[in-house]
Amino acid sequence: MIQAKRKMGLIFFPAFDWAIDPSHPEREERLLYTQDQLWEEGIFDIEGISEFKPDIATEEDVMRTHFCFPDVKSVVTESHMISAGGAIRAARLVMDGEVDRAFALVRPPGHHAMKSVHGNRGFCNINNEAIMVEYIRDHYGTSKIAIVDTDCHHGDGTQDVYWHDPNVLYISIHQDGRTLYPGSGHIPELGGPGARGRTINIPLPPGTSDDGFLYAIDNIVLPILDDFKPELIINSAGQDNHYTDPITNMNFSAQGYAILNDRLNPHIAVLEGGYSIQGALPYVNLGIVLAMAGVDYSFVKEPDFDREAIRQDKNISGYIEKVAEAVLDAYHNPPKDKSTARYGEYAVRKKQIYYDTDGIRENQVESVMYCKKCPGVLHMETVSSVNSLSFGIEIPFGACKSCRDEGIRVFREAKESGKYRTIHFINRFDREYIRV
Amino acid sequence: MYLGLDVGGTHTDAVLIDKKTIVASFKAITDHSNLFSSIYRALDEVTKNVDKTKITRINLSTTLSTNAIVENKTEPVGLIISGGPGIDPNNYRLGDSFYVIPGSIDHRGSIIRDLDLASVKNALNECEKNGIKVYSMVTKFSTRNPDEEEYLAEKLEGTADFISLGHRLSGQLSFPRRIATAYYNSAVWRVYNSFSSAIDKGLGDLGIKTDVNVLKADGGTMPLSLSRNFPVETILSGPAASIMGIISLCHITEDSVILDIGGTTTDIAIFAGGAPLIEEEGVSFESTPTLVRSLMTRSIGIGGDSALNIQDGKVTAGPERRGPSMADGGKTPTLVDALNYNATISFGDTAASKKGIDDFAKKAGLKPDVLVKAAIEFAVSAITDEVNRMLARINEKPVYTIHEMLENRIVSPEKIYIMGGPAQGFLQYLHASFNREVVIPQNYAVANAIGAALAKPTFEIELFADTSKGQLIIPNLNVRERISGNYSLNQAQTEARSYLVEYCKNNGIDVSLEDIEVIESSSFKMVQGYYSTGKDIRVKCQVKPGVEIRIGD
Repeated sequence: MIQAKRKMGLIFFPAFDWAIDPSHPEREERLLYTQDQLWEEGIFDIEGISEFKPDIATEEDVMRTHFCFPDVKSVVTESHMISAGGAIRAARLVMDGEVDRAFALVRPPGHHAMKSVHGNRGFCNINNEAIMVEYIRDHYGTSKIAIVDTDCHHGDGTQDVYWHDPNVLYISIHQDGRTLYPGSGHIPELGGPGARGRTINIPLPPGTSDDGFLYAIDNIVLPILDDFKPELIINSAGQDNHYTDPITNMNFSAQGYAILNDRLNPHIAVLEGGYSIQGALPYVNLGIVLAMAGVDYSFVKEPDFDREAIRQDKNISGYIEKVAEAVLDAYHNPPKDKSTARYGEYAVRKKQIYYDTDGIRENQVESVMYCKKCPGVLHMETVSSVNSLSFGIEIPFGACKSCRDEGIRVFREAKESGKYRTIHFINRFDREYIRV
Repeated sequence: MYLGLDVGGTHTDAVLIDKKTIVASFKAITDHSNLFSSIYRALDEVTKNVDKTKITRINLSTTLSTNAIVENKTEPVGLIISGGPGIDPNNYRLGDSFYVIPGSIDHRGSIIRDLDLASVKNALNECEKNGIKVYSMVTKFSTRNPDEEEYLAEKLEGTADFISLGHRLSGQLSFPRRIATAYYNSAVWRVYNSFSSAIDKGLGDLGIKTDVNVLKADGGTMPLSLSRNFPVETILSGPAASIMGIISLCHITEDSVILDIGGTTTDIAIFAGGAPLIEEEGVSFESTPTLVRSLMTRSIGIGGDSALNIQDGKVTAGPERRGPSMADGGKTPTLVDALNYNATISFGDTAASKKGIDDFAKKAGLKPDVLVKAAIEFAVSAITDEVNRMLARINEKPVYTIHEMLENRIVSPEKIYIMGGPAQGFLQYLHASFNREVVIPQNYAVANAIGAALAKPTFEIELFADTSKGQLIIPNLNVRERISGNYSLNQAQTEARSYLVEYCKNNGIDVSLEDIEVIESSSFKMVQGYYSTGKDIRVKCQVKPGVEIRIGD
């Protein structure tokens, strides 16, 4: 019998009875062929690999992380709570020491869901990784966490949630936003005034193959992780960089994904996108599972795999070397944020957000305290085509006493103003999550 | 009249049942060096005083295949497999004639790469040179496309005595399990067939002419004639016999725990809503997982003859057995002796038990009643812990739809059924430990043979239809059929059932449409780009384990 070097938990939840709509890529059978492949390979008979049932995330788990407008129930279905619950289960398994590594193979995905949620964007309603990370910080007090997002699309949602958080390093490696949804994820996007260099974007050109991805891992991601020294590494594991993916333009392979995972060695992986459900997912998922468990994956490849056909152009290699230089420089010497706020003042930014799946437009004015001692109290006014003017306040994880008092003051003031249809108050200091 | 015969590790039991009444029973020590003689004698004894023409059916549970594998009395098998990309197939090597042929089939059953003919030729030549007469052919995803396995079998036509094809053994996915199952099936084929022939002849000699079935690990039966091609199905049928016996003896309707407490071990089974739970993936044998369906049972090393021990100052019992209890002439004190000591039971030589416990306690520097109490507590908590572990595993079993996730059916036993020699002694302690009603059925001493006698046939198939390919396949029935583009899930369900009935009829298995239940069924739309290209339909149905009649009902 095959023995896994690392004890590995797999939370497999394909949600065979749920789709965004019948012909949408995010539909019932997305993980069907992955299941076929994993079962046919006898994955669960490998000594050390076990399958677990997801948790169902609670409303509190969501409210700890997101401002949902008008409320949690209106923006999620059971499938989202189970998907987020799958990520939480993965985290519990690892944090409780039941396994060394865990992979939540769940759908629907979540990395386009931002702090404020009015509906579905990029197939995502709530952010599975963020809900998981906040669960971990709340229950286990872990302070330094890195999320490495290897989905082909920029994880603008996760970036938004952690924009101001100096303790969560978010690295996204994706197809250049000038050529793909959601259009963001450029090198100068480096985090808010109190968290510069804690958001890192690695935009890769269309046509990047195994060599380019692994170059970026070896020369950008791993050195940055070495420097940041997170206690926990999470892989936001999108599988749409694959050469067969129908909605992207990259040339990554199953073997490449397995090697990437081997080198990155994340504690927890959470499935994100990937819509080549027959040609890619069965093999990519198999490769990731084996790599995480420390089982030989060298025989895993797509049946039609032809290395020459997907080899990347020389120009691409040269371009990625330049990207690496620029990203490393940005991480080590991030230019100051354009906000002119000084310590003890609010830095303000305005955002327009489009929810492509639901056709919703949102306008936000976000203010964050530029605080010397903590990530800073945050609040935002938000209005969208489905919700009238609403408000969110967050006293963040690890907030200092004065930011906590400021948050409570802002909440009281907002209530008294009578201006807002809904007010969401996340108080991580006192573990209070209130919607009024 | 139904005749049931269970050849167990220790005893061979036989019963004859007429109209819900046990009319004869027989028990003898099993002669492992000559299983057939044990069976012959039991058959002879139990039918001595009856009209043999009134026997309508004989069901037999035998350890033959199990023992052949455990004792390494198997035949060399030419194991020829083809995996394609995935986990390195060399991990699944079994036996000395193991060959991996390049080639690959994908999850849809499309042949991506043809078998490498030179490798096939080389493998077959080498096998022939080494005098191999039985073979197993297994390819990855052969349950979606059996062509390659069948091609390999054709190549051997006329030269092999027997060939196992992976897809004929089960429709379920799992390449490694399929390999192991096909391997064992061929490895025991010859010894099983000569045994079957001996049974046929023996029955002739006894003047018994009737249908003969064998018991499988899933608590169901299959005709002896059919089992000649599927001998692997008969492994590990022992615990199933006892469990089917309990069903025959008790009217179980609720979630419950079944404990069969023997001399060396306690076998545990769980019932959900009155039906025994099945190990869906298949039973593990010699720590190798197979596709042989089995009732879900666990065995722990606690039994009446479990020797008492002191480990690090703690009183324990089992897992080893150092001979019988002192009450039964043994030399070391056991759990039965402990139960004798505190007068929970009164078995055999109670004075010997008392002396044994007193001496043992003295040596250990413990008061005898403290020792006895601790030993019984240890045994009962070992059983309780194992039951709870099983329940946790059952209730943690992953589900794949939101519907099932929200439904969240939890198995929570309301009753404990116990049987086996020392059952009576454990009753009050198990009652206290589980805080549930504990029941000991009557006639439990031959429950295993009763279970064998009354077990009904079982069968399971998986239908897989791909309307874009226009093909339907039921691997283990060897069915392949063209279908139209508008083939529906309903049609698939109907056809699965009727194919199953027809197959059973052709093989002398008494099954009607009402016996069949659909256990899984799904239809997924396949989409290429933005267009629907067809449906991926899957139907799994079974004839589930059950008993013909209940004793005394």
